[in-house]
Amino acid sequence: MPEGKFCNRTPINTQEALEALLGDKGGKQYYAEMEELDVDKAKLAASIQNTCKSRTRTWLEMCAHCGLCADSCFLYLCNDRDPKQVPAYKIQSTLGEMVKRNGDVDNEFMRKAMEIAWSQCTCCNRCGQYCPYGIDMGVMFSYTRGLLYSQGFVPWELKIGSGMHRVYKAQMNVTDEDWTETCEWMCEEAQDEWPGMEIPIDKQDADIMYTVNAREPKHYPEDISEAAILFHVAGENWTVPSSGWEQTSLSLFAGDWEACTMQVKHVYAAIERLNPKRCVGTECGHAHRATVIEGPYWAGRADGLPPKPYLHYVEWLAEALRLGKIKIDPAKRIKQLVTLQDSCNYIRNYGLKEVTREIMSYLVEPGYFVEMSPNKEHNFCCGGGGGFNGVGRFRPQRNRALMVKRDQILATGAKLVVAPCHNCWDAIRDLEEEFKIGIKWSFLKPLVISMMVVPDHLKPQEEEE
Amino acid sequence: MYQIITGPLLWLTFLVFVGGLAWRVYTYIKGLDWKLDRVAYGTQSAYGWRGAMNSIGSWIVPFGSQGWKVKPIFTILFFVFHIGIVITPLFLAGHLVVLKMRFGFAWPALPMILADVMTVAMLCAGLFIIVRRIALPEVRIITSLYDYLLLAITIAPFFTGFMAVHQLGGDYKFWLYAHILTGELMLLAVPFTKLFHVVGFFLSRGQLGMDYGIKRGGMRGTNMAW
Repeated sequence: MPEGKFCNRTPINTQEALEALLGDKGGKQYYAEMEELDVDKAKLAASIQNTCKSRTRTWLEMCAHCGLCADSCFLYLCNDRDPKQVPAYKIQSTLGEMVKRNGDVDNEFMRKAMEIAWSQCTCCNRCGQYCPYGIDMGVMFSYTRGLLYSQGFVPWELKIGSGMHRVYKAQMNVTDEDWTETCEWMCEEAQDEWPGMEIPIDKQDADIMYTVNAREPKHYPEDISEAAILFHVAGENWTVPSSGWEQTSLSLFAGDWEACTMQVKHVYAAIERLNPKRCVGTECGHAHRATVIEGPYWAGRADGLPPKPYLHYVEWLAEALRLGKIKIDPAKRIKQLVTLQDSCNYIRNYGLKEVTREIMSYLVEPGYFVEMSPNKEHNFCCGGGGGFNGVGRFRPQRNRALMVKRDQILATGAKLVVAPCHNCWDAIRDLEEEFKIGIKWSFLKPLVISMMVVPDHLKPQEEEE
Repeated sequence: MYQIITGPLLWLTFLVFVGGLAWRVYTYIKGLDWKLDRVAYGTQSAYGWRGAMNSIGSWIVPFGSQGWKVKPIFTILFFVFHIGIVITPLFLAGHLVVLKMRFGFAWPALPMILADVMTVAMLCAGLFIIVRRIALPEVRIITSLYDYLLLAITIAPFFTGFMAVHQLGGDYKFWLYAHILTGELMLLAVPFTKLFHVVGFFLSRGQLGMDYGIKRGGMRGTNMAW
């Protein structure tokens, strides 16, 4: 069979196609069709010719096969040091072969490559740190995912995810109307407790334009009101765009570069339209990666920067605490052992290691903050990065992958894990569910709200009798 | 025979070695693509160079990077092997005598005993690197015959050179010729095999350093702690 009804080389571009694919529960028919899907070898060869340039070719050719990358990979460590999990082996047996054979590979090869690219690598980029040549297999697996996606070999959920971006400009079926209604609803709900609080939509020339992860309006709307409360208390002049509010990119995990470009340009268009001084994104790692780190390149920006300074939430929060815009009540500081999850996407890959620690210094009573080992840019992936959390087919592998983070957390003795990243937060929640180690986990926003000093003029006024 | 292999063949070897490596550097840099690599090499080059220097500097010094620190035994083997390969031939009295004869100049040589120690240490390190390839499952799975062939090509001129210098193994002339030919073979192999890492290391480590120096934190003022 050349191409299936669901499993094919055509991206999802319409709501009908999206709903049809969603209707194929668990991707049963989708994966059955994948077994028969032909490889368009000419197209694959052309893609390799056009996009596999000297950096990648040198990485593939020069690898000395020294094996130093093995111990850097948490998936190697948690799979009983299975040699098949050595990063160099994983990339050589997938992309390496594909390039060597110039795209002349069959269906079975592609299905195997898909399994490796999405269940044996989270694109955490740690191996590149431990390779003497700086061969970054996370970068190469991301590239491999793009080749696989273009041939239709992509996990069902991620085909849907990138389709969501193409149809809704969001990773979930949240429309702009849903979004603005959620903002209004959250604002109304909070106003009893926070008189005068606003969630200004489409305000021109604000100091801050705030962007989120679509699952906040969809599943965790309180996150939006928490952000609003903190901006309110800090006295920020801020706004959210009515369109272009979604900062994430499941298409980044899917390897759908066209959708990545569409998505980030949509956010940048909101920036151009509203002309804020700067932007702040929510507590999400890959959203920052997609919009601030890789996004400028997808959008073709030669300086590699977004149109306006674009802060990760932790950067804004650290600044607000530093400047005293938000003050922490010393009596309410955390007085139990607490540890911090370093998100690969903005710690290793964006250098914010000291920023999150500065925040911890305000929130935690001295002596109670315990570092994981290793930490900062050397930290291990939470276990669910790169889309791993969301792929049902690879759930057993994902659950196993959580063991490294579990052991890191257990070694700290902490019962509370601060995880300022949606993906890490999910993975840590799941590892508690899976292994029951008795921990709690939290984003920063609710923690800060629970321990900040609220100035009197922002408190609800008691009615005069 | 001696005239040919130390005359035209040697010149040809040097030419191919230098020209080939220059070609490698040229094609690598030419093939870098800011959009595909997603690194603004051109517009943020100051950050890029800073990142590249940090990256190369951390890895070229023994125990300079986390990667070296967590593997102390391999790190020692690695540096003994590489220092032996690079320093010994360049500062060997026997080589410098030839240089002086041909061109009338030379630089100070290593004491003979030190050159011997470095050669033997390098050969031992090479042997351990081979044993490691066989013994460790995570290395064995990615090892191919090609890796052993390259190790053989690399080790041969040192082994034969040592035999010739110390007049071991009987036939001096045989070992001398073998030394010259295997030395030339190694130099010829460099641009055409992954031995091109003599320049490739700097390019590739430098490139990832630029990536970190520009995109992945360098412009936020963070130096990657390699």
